[in-house]
Parts: sequence; C-alpha cells; structure tokens
Amino acid sequence: MIKANYKAVVIGGSAGSFSVVSKLLSQLREDFPLPVIICLHRLKHVRSGLVESIRLKSKLEVIEPNDKQTIVAGKVYLAPSNYHLFVEYDNTFSLSTEEPLNHSRPSIDNTLSSAAYVYRNKLIGIVLTGANKDGAKGMKDIADKKGLTIIQDPKTCEMDTMPKSVQRLIKPEKVLSPDEISKFLNQLAI
Amino acid sequence: MDFKHYLQVLKDHTPYDFSNYSDNSIKRRLQKVIADNDLSIDELLAKTQNDKAFVEQLVEDITVNTTELFRDPEEWPAFYEVLLPALKGKKTFNIWHAGCSSGMEVYSNMIILNELGLLDKAKIYATDISHGMVRKCKNGNYRYEFNKRQLQAFETILIKHPIAGISKVDFSKYFDIDHEKDQITAKEFLRKKVEVKQHDLVQEKSPFYCKFDIIFCRNVLIYFNATLQSKIYQMFHRQLYPKGAMILGSHESLTGFYKTKFKKNGPLYVKTNAFHYKYH
Repeated sequence: MIKANYKAVVIGGSAGSFSVVSKLLSQLREDFPLPVIICLHRLKHVRSGLVESIRLKSKLEVIEPNDKQTIVAGKVYLAPSNYHLFVEYDNTFSLSTEEPLNHSRPSIDNTLSSAAYVYRNKLIGIVLTGANKDGAKGMKDIADKKGLTIIQDPKTCEMDTMPKSVQRLIKPEKVLSPDEISKFLNQLAI
Repeated sequence: MDFKHYLQVLKDHTPYDFSNYSDNSIKRRLQKVIADNDLSIDELLAKTQNDKAFVEQLVEDITVNTTELFRDPEEWPAFYEVLLPALKGKKTFNIWHAGCSSGMEVYSNMIILNELGLLDKAKIYATDISHGMVRKCKNGNYRYEFNKRQLQAFETILIKHPIAGISKVDFSKYFDIDHEKDQITAKEFLRKKVEVKQHDLVQEKSPFYCKFDIIFCRNVLIYFNATLQSKIYQMFHRQLYPKGAMILGSHESLTGFYKTKFKKNGPLYVKTNAFHYKYH
C-alpha cells in the first residue's frame, strides 16, 4: 500500500474506452477510498445503456449524478449524456448544457479542468484510449496544479490520439497499461 | 477582473441581475463573451453602462440557449403518462415554459398536445430572459439541418412509444420546410397559440395573472446557486394549482425545504397539499 493524500480520481476516455473502464471498475477493490469521476464520450441519443453496462462489472456503486449532487468517496460518477459535468468547490457536481467543447458534450476537458482547480495536487487524472484531443488541456491543468497525471500506454490503446495529444502538452508522470492502472489505484491508501 | 464586481456593475446599470447564478458557470460564460468579443475590461465596463444593444446581446450570450425539438425523447411519453388522466378531465389548462430559449420545447409540447387532441384546451405561455430568444420563440423559425436529426426523436415519441395511440405523423403537418434556406418555420396555428414574454426568473414572480397546471423549466435552474434555486421553486409552488406539476431537466432534482412541498411522480414534481407546521 502507498500512503497518499489524494481526494479524487478523474478519468476521461473516448473511442475504445468503454471496455477499459468496465475492466478497471471490475478490478478496483470494494473499499476503494476515493470518488471516481468518469467522463466518456458517447452517442448523443443513446442515453441509457452505458451506465447499466458499466454497473454490471463494477464493485462500486455507479451513479449518473444530478446537478448539485454531493461527491462521496468510494462511489463512481459517470457524466450524464448530453451534459457537461463540472466539479465545484463545495465538493458537489454541477451540470451544464453549454455548447459542445471539442465537439463533445460531455467534454473531458471541462470535467478534468474543473476537478484540477478544486482538488489541485490531491487529484489523480487519467486519460484513456480515444480518437480526438479532448482531455489534453484538462490534463495540462492537472499537471499545472501538481496533480498526478496518468495516461493509458498508447501501445495498449484502440485509438492512441487522445493519450498522445496529452503527451504533446505535458510529460505524464505515468504511462500504464489498463491492468497497471488498476493495480496502481488499488494500492493507494488514504 | 473580479467577475463579482462586474456583475454588480451590470446589476446597477441594467435590468439584469446575475449575482445569484452559480459562480463557476457565470464566470465561464463571462470569460467566453469577453474572449469572443475581444474586449478589454475597460471597454466591457463602458459598453455595459452605455450600450443597450450590447447588453441585450451579452444577456443572450451568457445565458445558455441549448434546446432542441423533443430533447430527451424517451422522457416525453413518461411526462404524458402521468399528466394525461388529469388533463383529460379538465376544461382548460395552463402551461408555462419558464426559460424557453428559442422555443423548440414549446413547439414540441404543442405538437404532442395537438396529437393528443388537447391543444384546443391548452393555454400556452413562454418566457425567457433574453429579448432575442423571445423573438425567436415567437417566430418559430429554426435551422432545418440541425432539426432533421430530431425527426428521429419525434418518431421515437410518436411511433416507437406511442402516447395514447398516436400513429405516424408527418413533420410537415407542423412545420413549413424551406430546403434552400435550410429553415423550418412552425405553422401559424402553433405560433399564434403561444404567448411569449420577456421575463427574468430572478425577479421571483410570475409575469402572468393565471395559475398553472404544468410548469416546464428544464435545464434552466442548473445555472443558479442553491439559494436562488430554492426561491424559484417557492415561486413555482405558489404559481401552480394544487396537484399542478413541475417538469425539470433529466438530471435536476429538488433539494432543501421545497423537496417536501412536491411529490415526485415519475419524472414530474407534483405540488402537494401537505400542511407543514412552523417550528419557529
């Protein structure tokens, strides 16, 4: 176990990330001590289905949060379809239907950047496989606030554009395979 | 610039008070307007105090005007499953779309009511903070290409999950389509049906004399802080008839005191007659 003073994990992913997230959540230990905030690109009009599928594998409770819902440790939060998901200073979420960012709503940059400002150096940011650059700026914000940055090893990605665009802006602290990501998270003790 | 200072200037010199919008969202919107207009802070402050047209455009730009025909198509049948029995028994009923933006949801609702044979009994009211959006809602004029995608949603509601046995309906029954201009315009009988007014919810009072059977306010209050949200719920509660219903966005929920004054029925928040003792 690594004793570390983190407050949240935030994960972004796009093309190919669904199976990675499912696997990750099936591997995370039941008493995982942090909230896990996930923003995945998805088809606009396929609202249901994603959260249900992710729930099937997860040992932790998976929630699509409502506006102003309080963030609780040990729960998994999935950005609802067609909304941007932001983390607020009072440890709640806020939702917005503002215009898409990087052609996406939810946009990973929005979730990652807002979390970076709130949790600062106590945040772990992870960007997974994906076919665009959404998330890169958010990861830079996390790095700027001295949070921990992890990308999925491009060699293990279905689409490596997303982690590689992170590498164009910063040097991520860890480049890990999906199995290594869950192994790393599971040894965190708060 | 301290955005709170700017909001105070705006409040002092214009009819608009954004001081109880949630901090992060208003800050984000202001930053976007400043960047889009390529303004210095001094220019922004000067224009805010002297240029009415600029202020109107600013209000349109900092408020979020995302809307679409039949947004969340899977939810509409659920709204009407709950509402229908009560509405069928009424001679007339009133609906308020609070924060209607360009009005696409207003027209969506009127189309569904018409298909249900209930539009004649309905009085439809709509309000938005932005004069520009009020005009758009009155004109009922939208981009065709954007809305073509919503045709699928329209069919989801009307065909795949029929409400009270609605069968296939042609989109052109409700809109004139101009392919060349990439425009659709709501038919006159719909445009005439709705009374649209400029109105700011922050004033915490209704701009209409009547009470309402249904208030639609979807994805509007998410931009307000909890204190202001609570005041708006209080106003809606006051403006609803007993058993009247409030319809919020798919990821909004009531919090705080007013949670006890509405009963959740499916996706609807129904005004209860519950009597509450005062403790203090």
